[in-house]
Amino acid sequence: MKRNLQIVALILILAVMAYPLVWMITISLRTADGTSLRYYGEVWQAGPFDRYFVNSVVVVTIVLVGNILICSMAGYAFARYRIPGGKILFFLVISMIMLPKQVILVPLYILMQKLHLIDTYAALTLPFTADPFNIFLIRQFLVTIPPDCEEAARLEGAGELTVLFRVVMPMLKPALAVVAIHTCLINWNSFLFPFILTNTTSMRTLPVGLALLSQGAHSTDWGHLMAGALIASLPVILAFLVFQRQIISGLTSGMTR
Amino acid sequence: MKGRPANTDRFRLPPVVVLLLPWAIVYAVFYVFPFVFSFTLGFLSYNPLAVEKTSWVGVDNFARLFTDPRFARALRNTLVFVLGTVPLTTIGALGIAILLRGRIAGKSLFKAGFFLPSIISMVVISLLFKLFYAPNGGLNQALSLLGLGGHGWLTDPTTALPAIMVMDVWAAMGYYAIIFDAAFAGIPKELYEAAELEGAGFRATLRYVTVPMLRPVISFVLVINTIRSFQIFIEVFVMTQGGPLGSTDTLVLYLYEAAFRHLDYGYASAIAYAVFVLSGVFSIFAIRRFRPQFGRSGTVG
Repeated sequence: MKRNLQIVALILILAVMAYPLVWMITISLRTADGTSLRYYGEVWQAGPFDRYFVNSVVVVTIVLVGNILICSMAGYAFARYRIPGGKILFFLVISMIMLPKQVILVPLYILMQKLHLIDTYAALTLPFTADPFNIFLIRQFLVTIPPDCEEAARLEGAGELTVLFRVVMPMLKPALAVVAIHTCLINWNSFLFPFILTNTTSMRTLPVGLALLSQGAHSTDWGHLMAGALIASLPVILAFLVFQRQIISGLTSGMTR
Repeated sequence: MKGRPANTDRFRLPPVVVLLLPWAIVYAVFYVFPFVFSFTLGFLSYNPLAVEKTSWVGVDNFARLFTDPRFARALRNTLVFVLGTVPLTTIGALGIAILLRGRIAGKSLFKAGFFLPSIISMVVISLLFKLFYAPNGGLNQALSLLGLGGHGWLTDPTTALPAIMVMDVWAAMGYYAIIFDAAFAGIPKELYEAAELEGAGFRATLRYVTVPMLRPVISFVLVINTIRSFQIFIEVFVMTQGGPLGSTDTLVLYLYEAAFRHLDYGYASAIAYAVFVLSGVFSIFAIRRFRPQFGRSGTVG
């Protein structure tokens, strides 16, 4: 009895929560000539969401590769080496996780302007290639593993980078999966920095393009807006449907530690 | 690998330096330098269009915060947003997590459903709710079934901010519910059995077992949600641009406009530091309040 009540309550909450999403989908599909994907096609080509989509994919890919390399190297160093002042350095890493990013918005913009990098992939990617959360995650994961395999490889004469890439990175796979999920999601959805650091249509990412579409001449054009919103969300939703368990545990387990 | 000579003559950096170098460069250039530069900017009048681009103005920018009526309004709205949404989100998330306890049919389906909004871009969610709250939008369509509706939720200054707050709770609640759900797994079953033997009801169990055991996680959730909420920007930028009548103006929206509309970089930096200090103070408060060691015998006052 109590359990049934529990389920009824959950279904009710879920229904209320799902309603706006369902409404959004119906708006995007309801065209003058019945239900069709017309808005999706039009936004894709004229939006131009095809360009935004490519930009988002390029940016996320570069940022992801950068994070996997840079954060693995740094996390490994923090976990395994006695670094003078290492504790302070690592505390700095953690404190940057908590820093409201808006504090560096204006100076970063000025810096990118001086470097003539505004409206380039460099501006959209470089500042985000060493996410402090990822370093923290990799370091915490590594300290739970004894360094036996690495010692063995070193005795065989392997250099440090070989040890990292051939021995440590394969062991890091579970942590790197979390890094990948976290990095892709944050950067795919990122708005403020990509918005500030670009100024032409050809360099906008999906969230920026969508926000600008909603403030331009199309602001009352609900069908196209919702189709664009769904195009921006679809890759994330599809990934979620496939890797649901990994994504949920990846985004929450690292949190409660 | 095997054929490499043990000693090479050329100078080699110690491996730890090589490992830390890429991080150190990115960190120094894109985090530390802007962070320090931001602080100095606060003491400058820095306007790229002015003849004298920069001049030292001392604490003027920081002092201006205290007399600027728009800053006061943005601060008030941001505080209302933070103090309204953070507790609601936390309580709602705890409620959902409690409902998810035990052997529930389709539990993973429920979890996925609650979690879904938190992976979707805030731009998408804000745009969706902008239309959803419109006079002929989804909310009013649903309300018209009850004989209500027709209200422009975002065009009425009294309902605009609350409407955005409700959306934010909607978007964030599921994520924290799943965090609490994971944390529940760490509470020993014996505690609940003991509470039941003692004849403790639902409320007593919640008060003396669940909440005290979850303290570290609750404090963590309060801190990250507080920091996140102080930064509210996308929501108001997409939905209202701070209107109507400034009723949804927030600190980061003001920061953005000071910097990129008025090109007043110095003042924008001062606002940024205000956000930084405020979210820091609130986070410390939340940590203190919910830190396990200092909890007073499990009561939540």
